Amino acid sequence: MSKLKYGRRIISNLIDIYKTSFKFRFGFTVIFLMCIMGFILPLFSPVNPRAWYSVPKEQPPSSRYLLGTTTMGRDVFWELCSSIGKSLTIAVITAMIASHVGLLIGLLAGIRGGLLDRFLMFLTDTFIIIPGFILLVVVVTVMKNFITIPLMGAIISIVSWPWPARQVRSMVLSLRERTFVYTARLSGMNTSKILIFELMPHLLGWHLVNFANTILFSIGTEGSLAIFGLSLLSDNTLGVMLYWAINYYALYRGLWWWISTPIATLVLIFISFYLVSIGLSEYLHRMVR
Amino acid sequence: MSLRTSKKDLIEYVVTRTIFYIATIFTSVTLIYVLFKFMPVDAVENIIFQLTSAVGGVYDPESVMELRRNLYEMFGLSGGNPIESYILFLQRVFTFNFGPAFISFPTPAFQLVLSRLPWTIGLLLTSTIITWTLGNLLGLIAGYFQNRKFAKVLEAVAIIIYPIPYYVMALILILLFAFLIPIFPLGGGMSIIPEKITLDVILNIIWHSLLPALSLMIPGALGWSFISARTLAIETLSKDYTRYAWIRGLPSRHILRRYVLKNILVPQTTVLALSLGGVFSGAVLTEVIFAYPGVGMLAYRATFSGDLNTLMAVLILSIFAVATSVFLLDLLYPLIDPRIKHR
Repeated sequence: MSKLKYGRRIISNLIDIYKTSFKFRFGFTVIFLMCIMGFILPLFSPVNPRAWYSVPKEQPPSSRYLLGTTTMGRDVFWELCSSIGKSLTIAVITAMIASHVGLLIGLLAGIRGGLLDRFLMFLTDTFIIIPGFILLVVVVTVMKNFITIPLMGAIISIVSWPWPARQVRSMVLSLRERTFVYTARLSGMNTSKILIFELMPHLLGWHLVNFANTILFSIGTEGSLAIFGLSLLSDNTLGVMLYWAINYYALYRGLWWWISTPIATLVLIFISFYLVSIGLSEYLHRMVR
Repeated sequence: MSLRTSKKDLIEYVVTRTIFYIATIFTSVTLIYVLFKFMPVDAVENIIFQLTSAVGGVYDPESVMELRRNLYEMFGLSGGNPIESYILFLQRVFTFNFGPAFISFPTPAFQLVLSRLPWTIGLLLTSTIITWTLGNLLGLIAGYFQNRKFAKVLEAVAIIIYPIPYYVMALILILLFAFLIPIFPLGGGMSIIPEKITLDVILNIIWHSLLPALSLMIPGALGWSFISARTLAIETLSKDYTRYAWIRGLPSRHILRRYVLKNILVPQTTVLALSLGGVFSGAVLTEVIFAYPGVGMLAYRATFSGDLNTLMAVLILSIFAVATSVFLLDLLYPLIDPRIKHR
């Protein structure tokens, strides 16, 4: 199978999922809208979303300030738009690194088996047992002055690869026992060919599921680090929005629009990525059967 | 093959798990060493810069040098060759010698963390036990009656709740129940500082930890624990042996208890063990949001003042705490699964 054919098959499958699964459709639409908000709308922003005191402070939502303004005199709506873009960027970087590391380790463990499998899975489980967030807190604290958006994504991937690795390994183990793999092996195909032509088409779907889940995890982790004041505080991310809202006691001072905007957006993003990932995995389950 | 486990198998199992326990701690500590060794910036100089450049931070040069030596050892960066610094690092970790805590000078960081640990463990233990029991029961019921309306509603709720992290749930709860409908206190561990422990004080502590506990319990009981229990229940119900039990005319209560529940509990215990690290991380954040006086709140204060001694103590001690609970859970495993087949 050529590369082109691979690509065409993936796209036709995705269109198929989009048509048949409501969960996938809903999640995908919301993510699409979020991407427009995060990457295209900031280009038309009338105010600099990073500037302080550019609008009157503590205004409730109105037709002029769609989601109100903050104590620091920033328009919540435009701050939100640029935050979504930055948070998604961090998350995609994490997903690019962590899901591929996970894929590689899972593949190695699943195909080779034996001692290597045991060693890799022991390492994976150790990483799962370590309270990852506290590890990240220590790492980010010592690097505080050097953090950039790509670096943030890379740091979060330290704790994001174990679950994808486990998932891929268990998929490889179950695929290995299927008839088509036996047929391929008995007809004289070698391991790398079996991997590329027989296993990969199945694993690609699971890789996509892991990708969506890692994005979800990364956005959540960035937010939790921000609560500890350990994110890019001079920039805009969803976590940083939460950080300022909490630190200026937005909740206790009745500035509900300030704190509930990032919370609601985070919840919406989490749910839509999760729906995309279940939509995909339900489809894959049907395909495997 | 007899189903009863012999004493020899049991001893072998316990020994394997103990080795695994020690290896886990050893590996994670080594991983931390490697992580700091390969960090692109000098962790210690950076943190000393942060400390000394803080407002009002005037330090005696002698003590800064002492601090520097202390930190270099703790991060495994001291000594000429890597082996020597690794040994120095291990010595620090396994003697729990993390140096003094800056946020409460001169108390040793280890003692400070230890004094907060009961709060966190109390919160985690109760909420985890309730979560796991409730999640499994609800999952079992929702899986058994999978076509009923309430089961579908539960599933929809779980899909919404599952991806939401603990701290976002905590913020939502605080928004709802401490601000919109003010029935719970906004935070803290207790209202008054008690002179002696009385029933009132205990009730007060429970009242204050109710909302933090809820924010840990809802994502668990209606999230991961529920979803996996439901999936497992549906899977077990479609198995041949369950179908055979139906054909034999066994009462449905018997099938639920002896066939489905028993088969759910085994994998669910593994899931619980694997999720403990995540729950611990979640609890740390929940504590910060509710100003609950546990390890998380301590880590929060330590982060803000760049107190690496305390942070390192929190990290190492939480690894010990989580690994130990996973180990204890492993030891309980033979009670649930009589087949003890270890890999």
